Amino acid sequence: MNFNLFAAEEQAIEKARKLGEALAVAAPDCAADFEELVEAFQRSTREQRRLVRVSDRLQAQLGAANQELERRRQEAETALAHLREAQEAIIQAEKLASLGALVAGVAHEINTPVGIAVSCASHLADATRELRRLSDDGTISRGDFARYLATAGDTATLILTNCQRAAQLITGFKQVAVDRASAERRRFNLSKTLQETLASLQPKLRPSGHTVTVLCPADVELDSFPGVLSQILANLVMNALTHAFPDGRAGRLTLAVELSDVNMVRLSFADDGVGMSEDNRLRVFEPFFTTRRGHGGTGLGLHIVHNLVVGALKGSITVDSAIGTGTRFVLLFPRQTPERD
Amino acid sequence: MDSLNIPGTGRTPTVAFDFATGHLRMSGESYPDDVATFFGPVFTALRAYLAESVLIPIQFDMELLYFNSSSAKVLMNIFQMLESVARVGRPVSVIWCYEDSDESMRELGEDFSEDLHHVAFSLRNVPVGSIG
Ligand SMILES: Nc1ncnc2c1ncn2[C@@H]1O[C@H](COP(=O)(O)OP(=O)(O)OP(=O)(O)O)[C@@H](O)[C@H]1O
Ligand SMILES: [Mg+2]
Repeated sequence: MNFNLFAAEEQAIEKARKLGEALAVAAPDCAADFEELVEAFQRSTREQRRLVRVSDRLQAQLGAANQELERRRQEAETALAHLREAQEAIIQAEKLASLGALVAGVAHEINTPVGIAVSCASHLADATRELRRLSDDGTISRGDFARYLATAGDTATLILTNCQRAAQLITGFKQVAVDRASAERRRFNLSKTLQETLASLQPKLRPSGHTVTVLCPADVELDSFPGVLSQILANLVMNALTHAFPDGRAGRLTLAVELSDVNMVRLSFADDGVGMSEDNRLRVFEPFFTTRRGHGGTGLGLHIVHNLVVGALKGSITVDSAIGTGTRFVLLFPRQTPERD
Repeated sequence: MDSLNIPGTGRTPTVAFDFATGHLRMSGESYPDDVATFFGPVFTALRAYLAESVLIPIQFDMELLYFNSSSAKVLMNIFQMLESVARVGRPVSVIWCYEDSDESMRELGEDFSEDLHHVAFSLRNVPVGSIG
């Protein structure tokens, strides 16, 4: 099919040309002017053709630009999705690492009571063997027997209390470990979870010589994620140990809980260490912000803490700090975590 | 006559009319908010220049990369004015620049030269990114 966008104009021009020929005979004076008019119309038609082309070209460019825009938007979205996945993976890795540290802590902590129980038991075994020998020889005296009873009583008590301590530690750690690993939501006693977490950090805390004060009402029950809370506290404690006392001085760490109203928990963790500059304070929650790059700092700790407080506990976290006066993190979150959105 | 120099903006082209040497150039992009406001002074200056009786040759470099329909009509009008002075004996050349891969711009140039009979029209392809 032969399609001509300007067929009508061409017909009109053809007609005008014929009219021009007729006019040249009928009214020769007008012929030149008429010829000029036809010329002008012809040029105008050609210009119209060009304008249509220009306009088509512009539309095509616009279309291409839009496609490019859409492509870039999709690229950006894909990149964002990848970033989110990577972040998720990092959080998982961090969780595993903190679980590993926990296991090491458990082993170390349980060592003490178990060690005491073992040496008490071996002392008791020695005393028993000695008593048997005296009994076999028939030389046992009333005094020997009384001494043995005292030793047996003392060591049995020590064995019992230390085994109980070990059992208690294991229960606590088991809870912390399960909570950390499962990120399960349940009802729990806040004070108990905080104590258990601090106990798991003892191997790190004790050698530092810092004083840890916990001010928490004994009866605060939460319906939330104890593992998340434990991970947050572990991070804050480890940060205080790593960053707050570079000179090795024994400092003061204070963990305080109050109910700002019946439904909101206000948990603060403070150290009286070196503090930080205002510039740093504003950036601590940024991913990869660390003042210890190259010394084992990834700068993800507080970023993850922030995500956990906001994402899991549906709360908020702020930080107060000044050079020389120490650092205080304040978490505010509901006692009963609201159901997901 | 003083030369006319208008620096380009995002929407309006660079206009460099050096009347003393006869070298006229328009480059960049052209889609002004108001064609009349932008091109009015350009036409006034060009008309006055072409009305002078000096006959120094004119070279017009068309280096627009992107222009809207109104600017296209402006170009056609300018070409028509140049054609008029060329018809009465003034040497005029128009150089239509297009970027290497821009086939449709080259074809537009051919289209635009259709009504130029006395003006020496030529196309010049330039590497992408070298003008603007
Ligand atoms: N208690 C604190 N006292 C002083 N500075 C702190 C304290 N806690 C954090 N900071 C500062 O905040 C920065 C960021 O902490 P964050 O936990 O995010 O990363 P990091 O501890 O450096 O590295 P990572 O936790 O990955 O090992 C630290 O590098 C440190 O400069
Ligand atoms: Mg850290």
